[in-house]
Amino acid sequence: MTGTRVGSEVERDVLGAIRRPGWRWLLGLAVSGLLAVLLHVLWGALIVRGLGLTGLNNPVGWAVLITNFVFWVGIAHSGTLISAVLFLFRARFRTSFNRSAEAMTVFAILVAGMFPLIHLGRVWVFYFLLPYPIERLIWPNFRSPLPWDVFAVTTYLIVSVVFFYVGMIPDLALARRHLPGLRGRIYAVLSLGWQGTGEQWRHYARLYLFLAAFATPLVASVHSIVSWDFAVSIVPGWHTTIFAPYFVAGAILSGTAMVLTLSIPMRRWLGLEAHMPIDHYEGIAKILLFTSLLVGYTYVVEQGLSLYGPSPFERDQYAFRAFGPYRGLFWLMVVCNAILPLTLFLRRARRSLPWLFVLGILVNVGMWTERFVLIVASLSHDFDPYAWGTYSPTRYEIGITAGSFGLFFLFFLLFSRLLPVIAITESKQALADRAGEEGTP
Amino acid sequence: MMDRRTFLHTLGLLTGGSALSACTPGKDRRHLVSALVPPEDGVVPGQSVWHATTCTECPAGCGMQVRLREGRPVKAEGVPGHPVSGGGLCVRGQASLWRLYDPRRLRGPQVRDGGALRAATWDDALSRVASALAEARGAGRTGAYLSGRTTGALAALLAESAPALGLEWLPRFEPFSHAAIRRANGLLFGAPEVPRLDAARPDVLLTVGADLLETFVSPVGLAAQVVAGPAGRRWWHAEPHCSLTGANADRRLVLRAGSEPWLLAWLLARVAPSARRPLPPAVVAAMPRPSIAATAEATGVAVDALEALGAALAAAKEPLVVAGAIATAAEGGLAVAGLAALLQWTLGATGRTVDLARGEGYGDVGSLLDLRALGERLERGQVGVLFVARANPVRHAPAAWRLAGKLAGATLRVGLGDLMDETLREMDVVLPLSHPLETWEELAPRRGLRELLRPAAAPLGDTRAEGDVLLELRRRAGETVAPSYQERLMAGWRARYDDAALRAYSAAGWAEEPVSGPPVGLDAGAAAELLRGVRLSPPKPGLVLVLAPSIRSFDGRSRALQLLEEVPDPLTTVTYGPWISVAPGDARRLGVADGDELRVTLGGWSAELPAKLQPGLAEGVFVVQRDVLPSFPGGMDPATGEAICALPGPGLERTGRGGRMPYLSGSPSQQGRGLIPEPIHRKETAKRASLYPEHPHPEHRWTMAIDVSRCIGCGACAASCYVENDVPVTGAREHRLGREMSWLRIEPFYDAAGGVDFLPILCQQCHAAPCEPVCPVYAAYHNPEGLNVQVYNRCIGTRYCSNNCPYKVRRFNWFDPVREAPLDLLHNPDLSARGRGIMEKCTFCVQRITAARDRAKDEGRAVRDGEVVPACAQSCPTTAIVFGDLNDAGSRIAALVKAPGSWRVFEELGTEPSVHYHRGGGEGER
Repeated sequence: MTGTRVGSEVERDVLGAIRRPGWRWLLGLAVSGLLAVLLHVLWGALIVRGLGLTGLNNPVGWAVLITNFVFWVGIAHSGTLISAVLFLFRARFRTSFNRSAEAMTVFAILVAGMFPLIHLGRVWVFYFLLPYPIERLIWPNFRSPLPWDVFAVTTYLIVSVVFFYVGMIPDLALARRHLPGLRGRIYAVLSLGWQGTGEQWRHYARLYLFLAAFATPLVASVHSIVSWDFAVSIVPGWHTTIFAPYFVAGAILSGTAMVLTLSIPMRRWLGLEAHMPIDHYEGIAKILLFTSLLVGYTYVVEQGLSLYGPSPFERDQYAFRAFGPYRGLFWLMVVCNAILPLTLFLRRARRSLPWLFVLGILVNVGMWTERFVLIVASLSHDFDPYAWGTYSPTRYEIGITAGSFGLFFLFFLLFSRLLPVIAITESKQALADRAGEEGTP
Repeated sequence: MMDRRTFLHTLGLLTGGSALSACTPGKDRRHLVSALVPPEDGVVPGQSVWHATTCTECPAGCGMQVRLREGRPVKAEGVPGHPVSGGGLCVRGQASLWRLYDPRRLRGPQVRDGGALRAATWDDALSRVASALAEARGAGRTGAYLSGRTTGALAALLAESAPALGLEWLPRFEPFSHAAIRRANGLLFGAPEVPRLDAARPDVLLTVGADLLETFVSPVGLAAQVVAGPAGRRWWHAEPHCSLTGANADRRLVLRAGSEPWLLAWLLARVAPSARRPLPPAVVAAMPRPSIAATAEATGVAVDALEALGAALAAAKEPLVVAGAIATAAEGGLAVAGLAALLQWTLGATGRTVDLARGEGYGDVGSLLDLRALGERLERGQVGVLFVARANPVRHAPAAWRLAGKLAGATLRVGLGDLMDETLREMDVVLPLSHPLETWEELAPRRGLRELLRPAAAPLGDTRAEGDVLLELRRRAGETVAPSYQERLMAGWRARYDDAALRAYSAAGWAEEPVSGPPVGLDAGAAAELLRGVRLSPPKPGLVLVLAPSIRSFDGRSRALQLLEEVPDPLTTVTYGPWISVAPGDARRLGVADGDELRVTLGGWSAELPAKLQPGLAEGVFVVQRDVLPSFPGGMDPATGEAICALPGPGLERTGRGGRMPYLSGSPSQQGRGLIPEPIHRKETAKRASLYPEHPHPEHRWTMAIDVSRCIGCGACAASCYVENDVPVTGAREHRLGREMSWLRIEPFYDAAGGVDFLPILCQQCHAAPCEPVCPVYAAYHNPEGLNVQVYNRCIGTRYCSNNCPYKVRRFNWFDPVREAPLDLLHNPDLSARGRGIMEKCTFCVQRITAARDRAKDEGRAVRDGEVVPACAQSCPTTAIVFGDLNDAGSRIAALVKAPGSWRVFEELGTEPSVHYHRGGGEGER
């Protein structure tokens, strides 16, 4: 069946999706647009009135806003993983997802980048974080992990955008051919005069390979650096060397889960079932299972080390997480991230799109919760017992969190109608390869 | 020809000069100080002037010096070496500036018009009073003048003015009247006085109920004396509830409420045979002799504890027994006070550490008996014009008396006060009094001591001194009197002092005069009579509600000052609002947790109060600070006129309401974390290797040492810090969220037995500070003098420093700090302003360090040891805090840091704090 499908069908279906906005899309656009507006209104209130509008307090100086930052940076991860790493490993199932995963990366990192700014007490002097020339010769403090964050996230954003855009150039050229009028002319400009000549393809393939190789280390570095925001501190529950691999595994877990959450409805609503086969989902499910095992392992190691180690502060902290006021969230995170994904050992579960969709959402819930517990529980129960205190979010933080999802989906919905959501040329190539293997003309 | 440099100088001078003179908010603010012409007393913009005066937040009369900047008082501190306080200033004294600037202060006279009070002019108000006085005189009705305790010049004026105005000056009304003590001393020694105590000398001290460290007579001075006691001194404190004084005693005996006579009677019988001053045979014959078993049974104190106490008192060289406050505020209070006075006599304390000749001058203070008599006279319509000045009898009279209603019996009710209260609300004419820092005054808080009060600021509102009001009323009655109260005072001083003496008096703010009194003798007959009247009845079983005095608001008079709600109660760390302290066992029985509301009923009286668990409190005892209650639920002891404060049989039930309560402590226990380490836990920690170079401290290395054994948890340091450093006062809502801003806090840590240690925590100014490397913008950095400096203008508000601080002493400005006018005038101009989004914290009072360094540089010398005194150390009544330069090898701080047993909190983290703690090891000195 698939073997008989010709490349022009891919082209027709994928580019056809660009032209057909349905009521679902418009409704989704309206809702996410409103949420995005809400995000900015609430941020404005925080700037004008002060961060007291959040639920933050004396021991708990970071909470939901930083949770969101780590969460969205995590989401951004699997984009690069699926595009670059799987490209280098020649994983065929990548072609169904790479475009949407790359888009997801770019949007997630844009959303993530807002949060360190939102949570600044004085965002109007955020530029103190940048090494700009100043007559007093004050630079950022490079011993602090926060400037590392600035560089890591900015680098990641630039590389992701370049990778996303470069990968799309041949498809933009196709879109230019299919769409008349103004939109066609815009695609024409964006396609940078792509002609599809052999020479161009040769250069293009080199460049793409080079970019993939360049982006791959970022998968490890960005979230490692984000983890050092915590690990470099002396807060019990943060100060641990396992954080970098732990965060990277968690990021890939949550990113993969987000790919499932986004692509399963997209596949259905854009009518791309034929081009995103179940086999490919199974490949994604295996990544999810693998990273979930890693994350589950770190949970055990963290708790175990705190019991084994000499620090009473650490021991109390992990007991506090499991049995203190945040225990519900702690056990939710264990179930969602480390236990439910174990179902993917069953082939039937790996190939069930409804289950993968539900699991994707649950893992995202679990990963958000994990960051929340890690950040808030550690701060609310550190060294001095007098200073202990708990935190709960206010309407402002809940609204900003909802707004960040709104902004992300707004970007994604616009992407799904404006740009080819599946790499057409790559899919054609894959079809052609497979046809060659099966000997069909 | 002007060169570039001169041009810039001139331009700078002109710009600066015009900017300086423009630095005055508001269009029509009266200029107290010209920016250009320095007045005679040397007020120069930018320079502080210290003014010696006297604190009036309670009757003790501690010395207070006020720092003036640009003609405004901005800080109050203790007067070193003052005869009353010894040099400290308590939490209430710190708040006296808050009273001066309180936005709710009465700004002008009010008169009742058709049921409601409305603003009036002084002329209007006074003519109403004058005509009412004339009318009453015509009708032959004597008026009454009820005031709080009044001493010195105002007392003389009142004694002369009351008859002139046709008023009877009633015995003074004080909620803490010490009536039982005075009555007992009157009966036994013919001296109805509150004796002056010397708590520094005793080697064995027993306090029964008397809360020496909180509200008893002169708490700052007594606290200073108690901590200065001789080495090996043992201090027992006996009380039914759990007070700060009890928490600081060496041994706290939990008595059943009402069993105090048992304890004292047993002790008297125990020590009398071997005592220094044998009792007359008639007295010995009349002495009740309860057996130790019966005493242990009645009091709930174990037999061996009683034996130890009795043996210690009998063997002591300089024993002292003091009973008072809660112990005498009960039926049988006279017996308690009498037994204690006899113990003082027979143990030889009377005349040595208990000085009746140089008493506290409470002789003209009345009691609730006098207030009841006033109520009866009012009911019978025998009172003409009623004046109530500086007193709130409506709040403090037993609620069952319904005193507020009885006030209507007077022809006109005139109230004098500064903040609206329950009594002023009932008045027909309300006359606003100037703050003691706005007027001239002279007090005599104890016999043989005169204290000067002089204006530090022009009155903020349309207020007058009480003396001026009296003189004006007399003038209106046709008498020729001094033109003003100030003139009268000055005339008095000129008559009494020559120029040199007056100048010395003015500089010091106080003068002592010799007091002669014959040594007191015991009236054996009266003593035997009193002893025969001692009824040893078993205390009633069941629940007890104890109405305790409050260190933060005394009898409630300081309750309205927000600063005193912002600073937590030392034992519970509750800040805002009332609460009821519940023993952990009772909490389990009632099923309440912190913040759950309880309805407390006593007869017809009821109140709804959130519960707070109090470790160390005996089961069955519930404590409410009496100042927080809207009315007084207790009764009166008819024998003495004391209010009864231990009330049996309260009804307690859960209302089902509850929620987050504003208290600051996250845990009553230190969870075995060794913040205050047991000696066995102390171990040497090796210096850690670091990738970074050491911070050099070429000139100074500022260091603090805190003696935990001297810290009594009173909170004076915290309040002082609030005022000195403009620390934002955030209010109940923010406290409920855990957003207090205090730079300095005192952490109470309870042990399993209910004992408590107080640990003052402020920024530890770590040598290897966790806050510094994580700040992305160098807002937190280490300066060459060893301070962790926070650069407000550089701070972008990531709060990473606070997260990484193991001591959690950093404070984030969640909102813009706003102080309602005129409280905005109470600010220290030497500080940088902070706005929302900025982290702040203790700076070791860097402005004072800078001032001392500049002064030393001007005088061409090095900074002297003890020259820099941070605000917290200055106020500490017990001199627990010592500050200095560790680079100065001969300094006190260098010795204290090296002393054995000195430790630093969380030393194992390698932060190397600059705050060292120790237990004893150095004599406090100012």
